[in-house]
Amino acid sequence: MASFAAACRISARLASGRAARGFTTSSRCLAAQNFVMPALSPTMTEGNIASWKVKEGDSFSAGDVLLEIETDKATMDVEAQEDGVVMKIFSQDGSKGVQVGTRIAVLAEAGDDISALELPADEQPKQAAQSTSEPAAPAPREEPKAASKPAAKSEVAASGTYDHSYPLLPSVGLLVHEHGISKEDLSKIKGTGPNGRLLKGDVLAFVGAIDAERPAAVSSRLSKLAHLDLSNIKVAEKKAAPAPKAPEAAASKATEAAPKPEKVLVQLPVSLEHVEELQRRLQNSADVSVPIAKFVSKATAFANSRLPAIPRAPTTSELFDEVLGLDKAKATKFSQGSYVPTIADDFAAPRRTSASKTDIIDLLTGPARKSSSSPTRRPAPRIDARAAPGGTHLFGVLVPKEEKARAQLFLERFKLALEEVPETLI
Amino acid sequence: MKVACIEKRGTLGGTCLNVGCIPSKSLLNNSHLYHQILHDSKHRGIEVGEVKLNLENFMKAKETAVTGLTKGVEFLLKKNGAEYIKGTGSFINENEIKVQLNDGGESVLRGKNILIATGSEATPFPGLQIDEKRVITSTGAIALQKVPETMTVIGGGIIGLEMASVWSRLGTKVTVVEFLGQIGGPGMDTEISKATQRILKKQGIEFKLNTKVVSGDTTSELVKLDIDAAKGGKPESIDSEVVLVAIGRRPYTQGLGLENIGLELDERGRVIIDSEYRTKIPHIRCIGDVTFGPMLAHKAEEEAVAVVEYIAKGHGHVNYGCIPSVMYTHPEVAWVGQSEQDLKSQNIPYKIGTFPFSANSRAKTNLDTDGLVKILADPETDRLLGAHIVGPGAGEMIAEATLALEYGASSEDIARTCHAHPTLSEAFKEAAMATYAKAIHF
Repeated sequence: MASFAAACRISARLASGRAARGFTTSSRCLAAQNFVMPALSPTMTEGNIASWKVKEGDSFSAGDVLLEIETDKATMDVEAQEDGVVMKIFSQDGSKGVQVGTRIAVLAEAGDDISALELPADEQPKQAAQSTSEPAAPAPREEPKAASKPAAKSEVAASGTYDHSYPLLPSVGLLVHEHGISKEDLSKIKGTGPNGRLLKGDVLAFVGAIDAERPAAVSSRLSKLAHLDLSNIKVAEKKAAPAPKAPEAAASKATEAAPKPEKVLVQLPVSLEHVEELQRRLQNSADVSVPIAKFVSKATAFANSRLPAIPRAPTTSELFDEVLGLDKAKATKFSQGSYVPTIADDFAAPRRTSASKTDIIDLLTGPARKSSSSPTRRPAPRIDARAAPGGTHLFGVLVPKEEKARAQLFLERFKLALEEVPETLI
Repeated sequence: MKVACIEKRGTLGGTCLNVGCIPSKSLLNNSHLYHQILHDSKHRGIEVGEVKLNLENFMKAKETAVTGLTKGVEFLLKKNGAEYIKGTGSFINENEIKVQLNDGGESVLRGKNILIATGSEATPFPGLQIDEKRVITSTGAIALQKVPETMTVIGGGIIGLEMASVWSRLGTKVTVVEFLGQIGGPGMDTEISKATQRILKKQGIEFKLNTKVVSGDTTSELVKLDIDAAKGGKPESIDSEVVLVAIGRRPYTQGLGLENIGLELDERGRVIIDSEYRTKIPHIRCIGDVTFGPMLAHKAEEEAVAVVEYIAKGHGHVNYGCIPSVMYTHPEVAWVGQSEQDLKSQNIPYKIGTFPFSANSRAKTNLDTDGLVKILADPETDRLLGAHIVGPGAGEMIAEATLALEYGASSEDIARTCHAHPTLSEAFKEAAMATYAKAIHF
């Protein structure tokens, strides 16, 4: 709770920074300035004065708490931004429902003799009337939203000194000359352009030619346009998405569809005779044990390399290349395959699903790894056990229909490697 | 920062450089020259012998421009130490991207910050299979191998009209079918759009507005489109050799693996971001066509700079109220800021100043006087709200309007700035004068 209160205080101080500027600035009324009910939050329209921490005639310095204001949300301190003297307090402790912008006190600059100063006229009666009988007010048509309204007002009401960048815009320079605005007066006009640049409208408002709030209103509207509109983002519904074909939905459809298309089993008998013979030779001559799995995996890698590309619908950019005649130069005719052959000697269940399939590598590397410390020939007997006569095994790969030819080629190369040139695999 | 850029196309520069803005501008410029030599030389006192189009070399000129520029970008990456990886990237998880390399093989990249800038693709027309030969998108339209007799363009936006111009100048009979009541897309000022339509019609392009394409049939020799006027017209059908589908572009996120990191898209397939271009995974950011805002290369470019500034310094800036649009037909159409229909629909008061190029000395000298400049400003403060130009050199002239808008200038500020004589930009100055007071030369 304490920390929440502290947070409120901090934000009050921040918020009051802008609103309270009003009293340091009304240069049009010389030294004594009206102090109006500040807007402590963008949505605040009125507040109660809990208590004044200063009395009439008191001096205060920047940072002193002047009064405590209650809003519907919290009680907040309003701090002085500059040194000064309290000349008169209009809204006493306990005043309820004081509209933002209503004069609540008059403050003078530090060191002023307040008995010699005149009270400035209340600059806000119109505004107070406006906020009580709002619809009748001749407000500009495209009045900014409530959020920016108090801020815009206080900015216009405020007229501290501003450091304008020179040269002035041509229109501004001309108006300054026409209306004989001194450099000093000019620095009191707040610029509403980008980075506080002084615009034609600001000077027109200053000399009273147009509505004083207009430049800030235009500015705040344009600054809204300066940002991406991130409101009303509607998240696409997952998958269901009926009308909009979100790419995501399309992609997920594609993956969904993937298992569905017919798969075909491509098989080829491969004799492991040569491999076994070579294995024996190696064992005898060099006393090296090379598991059959090693041969099979090497042959798989060999057969997978530089397979023809998978036939598929060309992408738009490929179509474009084709149109340009670049396809021959650019197209990659070969691609790396990723087939893993399985032994399908078990003819009783040739259509084993992929879920339960054990491929040859699992079959062979498992035991081989376990017994790798002692060179045995355990894997071979297991193959032999399921072998067809002559050490021939039926190797197969399960592939989508359109890849049939590619898989066939893979198996032929696999067979070639194992049957004809097993030596090259080592 | 150590930077890697993953691109699957094989050349850098994206849609804009490879199949978008750049190649189309080559075709637009050269077809304009061809058209001018054919039809606009005699009364200038230039007699030309036989004029022949060599479409092959015409396309080669385009490819030379594209190749030069893509190589240039590659050089810039190298020069600035960014690694260029040719392949298709997809998210494995929040920090890792798997790249299917174009040369075969695969690699995995880890990134502290990841930027999604995958752009957009042409939106296909439901029921018409794009083959890029008879039914084409802008990609096929910049690479046709012969000048078709007839072409129907579905969609009268900027892309549709530019391509319509190219092929119309080369001799194709072009019909543009647009669903909306105006050409140039909803962003173009209605008055400017009407003026543009008149000019393009004079050039031989036929328009069917408020008309929707119901279905298409590609089985016969000519592609047949059934169209239906939205307002009480009767259905009819158009046969043409080529149909260009230019109904807009949609974000491209296919194969990016967004589902692996749980990133959501909005209903139009755009990646959802916040004002600092962060997705809901803060170190993954997103800019350009694949997210919100207008699909323009220069907008993406601004965002790219801003996003890197956010990563490096914590702040960045893009002024979305100040992004110019240009259509490179002849005459060009360009605009920045708000249009008259925008302001009207929001009940925002405005004042208008216009100036026709027919009153501009340079345009008259060049015998190129179609078009006008239109300026919209706040009636009280005179602050510039929008500028809309149709006329020769509009695309270059809009830079002045953009600068004025960015700096909060009033129309008087523009008018009191010296413009060289005789130039087309004087028309812009005069329109500014007409906005706050009165044009001198009209």
